[in-house]
This record gives sequence, C-alpha cells and structure tokens, in this order.
Amino acid sequence: MSKNNEHDGLDLRGTLASVMVVGVIIVVMWVVVYMMYLGR
Amino acid sequence: MIALQDRKLALWYIAVAYIAFLIGTLMGLLQVFIRNDKLQLPAWLDYYQILTAHGVLLALIYTTFFIFAFFVTGMSKSIGTFGPKVRLFSWIGFWVTLIGTVLATAMIVAGEASVLYTFYAPLMASGWYYVGLALFVVGTWISSFALIGHYRVWRKNNKGELSPLFAFMTITTIVLWLIACLGVVATVLFQYIPWAFGWSDTINVELSRSLFWFFGHPLVYFWLLPAYIAWYVIVPKILGVKVFSDSLARLAFVLFILFSIPVGFHHQLTEPGISNFWKFLQVVLTFMVIIPSLMTAFTMFANFEISGRKKGATGLFGWFKKLPWKDVRFTSIFIAMAFFIPGGAGGIINASFQLNEVVHNTLWIVGHFHITVGTPVAMTFMGLTFWLIPYLTGRKFTKSMQILAFVQIITWSIGMLLMSTAQHILGLLGAPRRTAYSNYNNHPSAMEWFDGILTSHVTMAVGGSILFLSAMILIYIVVMSMFLSPKAVKVEDQVEFPMAESDKTHTPKWLENWWIWIGIAFALIIIAYAIPLSSMIMHAPPGSEGFKTW
Ligand code: HEM
Ligand SMILES: [Cu+2]
Repeated sequence: MSKNNEHDGLDLRGTLASVMVVGVIIVVMWVVVYMMYLGR
Repeated sequence: MIALQDRKLALWYIAVAYIAFLIGTLMGLLQVFIRNDKLQLPAWLDYYQILTAHGVLLALIYTTFFIFAFFVTGMSKSIGTFGPKVRLFSWIGFWVTLIGTVLATAMIVAGEASVLYTFYAPLMASGWYYVGLALFVVGTWISSFALIGHYRVWRKNNKGELSPLFAFMTITTIVLWLIACLGVVATVLFQYIPWAFGWSDTINVELSRSLFWFFGHPLVYFWLLPAYIAWYVIVPKILGVKVFSDSLARLAFVLFILFSIPVGFHHQLTEPGISNFWKFLQVVLTFMVIIPSLMTAFTMFANFEISGRKKGATGLFGWFKKLPWKDVRFTSIFIAMAFFIPGGAGGIINASFQLNEVVHNTLWIVGHFHITVGTPVAMTFMGLTFWLIPYLTGRKFTKSMQILAFVQIITWSIGMLLMSTAQHILGLLGAPRRTAYSNYNNHPSAMEWFDGILTSHVTMAVGGSILFLSAMILIYIVVMSMFLSPKAVKVEDQVEFPMAESDKTHTPKWLENWWIWIGIAFALIIIAYAIPLSSMIMHAPPGSEGFKTW
C-alpha cells in the first residue's frame, strides 16, 4: 500500500477533541452509576 | 432515478412501515398516560396488550419494513435495476413478511398475545402469534436472499472488484440478520409452536430465553447498521465530502457481525440458570463492540471537520458552525447521532455485569432504548424518509414540507429529551418498567416518582404527548409526499438520492471475503454459546406449562 494516502495534510484536531469529549461522557456516566451501585 | 418497478416495491415497504408507526406511537401515547394514572383503559383493552403492540409494531415492524425500503432503493441505485428473478423473490418476501405481520398483529388485537415483543415463556400466546412471527422472519429471509442474489450477479459481472460501499454494507447487515434469526427461528419452531398448540406440555424456559437473546442483541444491530449506512454513505454527500475511509467503514461493519452475536447473555445477567463464567465471557465480547462504535464516532467527526474546513472554518471547533444546519436531511441525522452518545454510554453501563443490577428491568432501560432505537435509529429513518419518498414518487420536497420537517424533528427531540431523561432518572430511583400505574400502597419511595421536575411520571407524560404530536406531523409529511405533493417536473425540483463517493483504491480485498467473516463469526458463536446452551439442554430443569396472565 502506498504511503502517501488521501488523509495526509488533513487538520483533524477538532475531531480528536470531539472524540475525547465523547470518551469523557462515557466515563462520567459510568462512574455515576458505579457510585450508585457501591452505595446500595 | 431508479427503475419504476423497484420504486414501487420500496414504496410498499414504506407504506407498511408508516402504518405500523402510526398505530405504535398511538399506543405509546396511551402508555404514558396510563402510567401516570390519568387514563384507564376499558375492560376489553389491557395494558400489556397495548405495550405488546407498541413494542412489536415499532421495534420490529416499522424498523424492518423501512430498512428493506432503504435497501431496495439503495441497491437498485448502487448496483443496478433488479432482474426479473430478484424482483419476483423480493415481492414474495414482501408479501410473506406482511402476512406474518398481519397475523401476529391480529392476535395481539384479539387479546390472544399480550406477551410483549420479547414473548418470554412461560407466558403463552395463541400458537398463531408464533406462526405469524415465524412467517415474518421467513419473509425477511426471502427478501434478504433476493438482495444477495442481486449482489452476486453484480459480483459475477465485476470480477475481482470490491462492491460499492452501499451494497457492501447492505450485505453485511443481511448476513448479520440471517445468522441472528437462527436463534429465534429455532426457539419459535421447536419450542413455542409445539408448546402453544399443545403438542408438547412444557417448555424449557431458560433455553427459550437464551435463544431469543441470541437473536435479540444482533436485532438491535440490524436496526442500527442501516442507520450507520446513512451516516457513512449519505451524510458525507450532503456535506460535500467523500467517504472518509472506505477500508475503515468496511472494517467497522464486519466487526459488527463478529461482536454483535455472541453476546446475548448480557440481557440475562440476572438469570440464575447461566454460570458467571459464560456471562463474563459474553460481557467481554460485548465490550469489543465499542471498537467499531468509536471508529464510527471518529469518522463522523472527521467528516464534519473536513467539510467545515473546506468551507473556511478555523480553530478547534470552527467547523461546527459551517455544517449545513438549514438542510433538514442533515440536521435530522445530526440530532440522531447526538442522541446516540448518551445512548451508547448507557449501553456500556447496562452491559457492565454488576452495574446491570442497578438498572435491570427499571424504567432506565426504557429510557435507554428510546435514545438508541427510538431516536438515533428512528430519527435517521425520519431524515431519510423526507427525501426518500419524494425520490421514489417523483414529487417535490416543497419548502413548506421542509419547514414542517424541521418542526417534526425538533418536537421529537424535545419530547424525547423530556421522556427519556425522566425514564432514566426514575429507573435509577427504582421505578420498574413494564407496569401500568401503581402506587405500591402509597410507599414513600413510589410516591416520589410522581413529583420532582425531571424525575416524574408527569414529565414522562408531557414528553410522550409532544412525541405523539411529532409522530403525527411525520405521518402528514409521509402522506403528502406519497400522494399529494406536486410532481417535480423541472430538473432542479427533482429530489436526489445522496450517495457519497468512496475511494476503494486502497481497500484490501480480504475485507469483502465473506467466508473469513462468517467463519470467525461462527467460531465466536460456538465459543460463547456451545457449552452453556448444551448444558441447558442436557441438564434441563422440569419444563414449564404455559400461563395466560391476562
Ligand atoms: C410517541 C412516541 C413514543 C412514546 C410516547 C413511547 C412511550 C413508551 C413507554 C412509556 C414505554 C414503556 C412502557 C412500560 O415499560 O411500561 C415504551 C416502551 C417501548 N418503546 Fe416506546 N415510545 C415511543 C416511541 C417509540 C419508538 C419510535 C420505538 C422504536 C422504534 C419504541 C420502542 C419501544 C420498545 C421496544 C418498548 C418496550 C416494550 C416492552 O417493554 O415490551 N418506542 N414506549
Ligand atoms: Cu444487547
């Protein structure tokens, strides 16, 4: 497969930030329910 | 525009889908008022009867019929007009599916099948209800094989070439569906039908539930993957970009075949008849599905950012403002995606073994699937409906319809936000799902469920009413674009089927080698299911006779 692919030179910093935000939402929701689980 | 005969088939599928949607959402409206003690059903109508109708008509009938409409149109568009044999079998499939649907629905209406869409034994419906379900599945199989036949003709004529992305994704979804249905067909044919008609006295309950969920989890991916097709293939076209990565898209789809089937036990985590080891193994496999899900999330953001930057956006989030917000085809699907973020996060919680105990059988679950299938999938289908029907009927998608479409998706979003937030919180507080009104003898905990702003059955009812209003607007849009909107005579009025270009030059060929993926899928299924299922059969407890609790 050739090295110079169609994704060279794209600026995807916003995408990186956005998927990080999704990750944080997942973790926060999970921890909230986990805390409730421990509390019961 | 695709061939007239293919359009006719797709339109029939859509028509059935929206009849089911109309009745199903009406049942939803009744449910929220019954749960809030604002409505009492007449003696001849039972809460579980309407809840069965709601689940079956929306989650099974609406989705499946719409999906086939989308597949028929997209396959005809991407790999060509159906040949006579494909067309014949597609119609046979349609009619068999429809007959099954009508039979099952008639049994629900007659009060012979208030067993909910999961039809758990030992609740026993009329045998004809199960026959209806079996016909439904067989009908979809016939239609599926017709589409596979169509695809094979294309492959034969284009030796050595990868198929267009739309066709590849359609076939992936169909492969998933065919494998998934093996479970439900096995239990319906060999367990429920003999039992309901009295040929056998008892049923192995644990086995029937396990076979149901062998089907039940991939079922949710059968709904979701067509929505993902729209996200991967249609959204980029509307944004004016190419498919971000053809190989990533194909890899994500085959991973869904692998990791959506051997995981049904995550719905049975509270059941004593399955040992922890097998539950844990399937929990781990369930978590694998996070990989293609996050690949999808990444691709979506990348599409947005690339499109926004092409239009001159700067900074970290400048692209957000450049998205085509005024285009309802885009905005609808964007909202659908946004709902899927908490929806997917909730799914991870549900599947987290011990955490399942916090949410199991509570209203949280109801909140969860209304922000997975009820909005991300359903609203993607709405967003497709807006242009798909005009595309098929050759009518205009008029300015006033576009405005109405915005009103529709916004009301749906508001209604769903209210209803599902209330359901999630009520569920965490312990309110059960699948119950009509109950105050549990004025128990203080139960009384709490009726006050509070976000945590109340009242909020749920308000949300449900707004949702129903939205559903009726959608029905109006559907009827207009089916029969009444002006014909598009001028070329610029004609509605297009937006399908993005996908660059296949770097895509490895093995991604379309089905034997690899079907082989691994079956290997995983055998690992996850062979031993626990066979021990359910060999060490079966005494079976149960049927119960009719209504
Ligand atoms: C007008 C819009 C809707 C309203 C007001 C509504 C309301 C409700 C309510 C209140 C319940 C829970 C009842 C209970 O557990 O006692 C429910 C269950 C359910 N809903 Fe909806 N819903 C709507 C739309 C949808 C859509 C679009 C789908 C799927 C495409 C859907 C799928 C389901 C399913 C599968 C169940 C579970 C049924 C069961 O427990 O057997 N709903 N709905
Ligand atoms: Cu599942």
